[in-house]
Amino acid sequence: MSTGGRHGLPDDQDPGSDDAGVPDGPGDPGSPGELGSAGEPGYPDEPGSPDEHGVAGAPAGGGDPLSGLWDGERPSGRPVSGPPPRSRRRHAEADATSGGGAATGAAGSAAARPPRDPVRTTVRGLGQLLITAGVVVLLFVVYEVWVTNLFGEQKQAQATAALDRLWASENDVVTAPDQAVVTRPGGGTVVVTAPGQDDPHRQRHYDTTEGAGFAKMYIPSFGADFVLTVIEGTQQADLYAGPGHYEGTQYPGEPGNFSLAGHRVNKGAPFDDLGLLHSCDAIVVETVDDWYVYRVLPMQEETATWATTQHPHCAGVRVQTGQYAGVYGRKITSPDDFPVVLPVPGVNNTVVPANAESLITLTTCHPKFSDRQRMIIHGILVKTYPKKAGFLPPQLQETT
Amino acid sequence: MYGWIWRHLPGPVAVRLLQALVLFLGVVALLFFVIFPWLEPLLPIDQGGTTG
Repeated sequence: MSTGGRHGLPDDQDPGSDDAGVPDGPGDPGSPGELGSAGEPGYPDEPGSPDEHGVAGAPAGGGDPLSGLWDGERPSGRPVSGPPPRSRRRHAEADATSGGGAATGAAGSAAARPPRDPVRTTVRGLGQLLITAGVVVLLFVVYEVWVTNLFGEQKQAQATAALDRLWASENDVVTAPDQAVVTRPGGGTVVVTAPGQDDPHRQRHYDTTEGAGFAKMYIPSFGADFVLTVIEGTQQADLYAGPGHYEGTQYPGEPGNFSLAGHRVNKGAPFDDLGLLHSCDAIVVETVDDWYVYRVLPMQEETATWATTQHPHCAGVRVQTGQYAGVYGRKITSPDDFPVVLPVPGVNNTVVPANAESLITLTTCHPKFSDRQRMIIHGILVKTYPKKAGFLPPQLQETT
Repeated sequence: MYGWIWRHLPGPVAVRLLQALVLFLGVVALLFFVIFPWLEPLLPIDQGGTTG
């Protein structure tokens, strides 16, 4: 046990250690078999080792006693069949007492440590390093595909809570949207019902902050509980929290293009299912005081039969013509096709034309797990409702 | 490396296995919650939208 002093001199012990160590190796892990068949007393060291473990329970000395066993064999230069007498004696003791299987295994694996050889050590270290690197890379894939979803859902929940707080505080201040308190010239006030609340071109009167939510998006065909808080901005941090509004594009309900980007496979994957959207599916957007109902435009393959086919929920949804000709419900395009998010999709001009439609555009990665292309969904505004307590747009019930 | 760790874990095999498992999970947690979130924005694998 105290022979560890020789431990630090691998060079001059190499030949001896090889002779002693390599042939012994096979016997070590399979010690039960060796014990049973050969029956030579004291051939392996293992059964004695549990005692050593007990003694060497202190962390500092954990490895040394076992190394000592090897060292004890080395200087003798003895052939394979000649283990040191010390081991023989201890083996006999262990045989008499316990010789338990688990203990044998423990000592066996520890004793199977190959002798110190710089080349061997280097190669083994390199191999372990490569295996470790491979495992880390696999763990990174697990992280990207699965763990980031947990983080993304957490950030989305935080953004939703913040938006709910904001809306609750604004509703305390602002009167009901279809009413206004007017001060009469002669004194006193009167509550008037504001006309024209269906005007879709009303001015937006809420501010947005990059990274914070400002609207909620419902897609009833994905389920009654499918709601996402829309974040301002499309930086990485914005998209981690939810679908992000391309800054510079229009806001919900405005003429032009309300354009959003979202992840498809990780970071919460808000746009995971965009491939399942059909023409006329409702995309309902809720702002602080309005509901906007968009519907997905006809798909390109439906254009020929669109006029002659009955479509439920399709009032106001037509195959686009004029400056919007060629804008369909779904488009697969390249990542650099930025004009799809501009006021007239496909036209590289950020100015909203006078006769512009109010569109919504959703963009996400395509195909799944790939950055090679983008899937674009275009929808058109068909209905606007002012928010009222207890009112929900009937389109939210279109869950089939 | 792993042999060195194994030899320096105290206790019988079952206890050592448990310790090794705890060590492994600790490393995984470190990767998931510290290293990967730091590393990820530096990698060009996170392009969501269309860019002009």
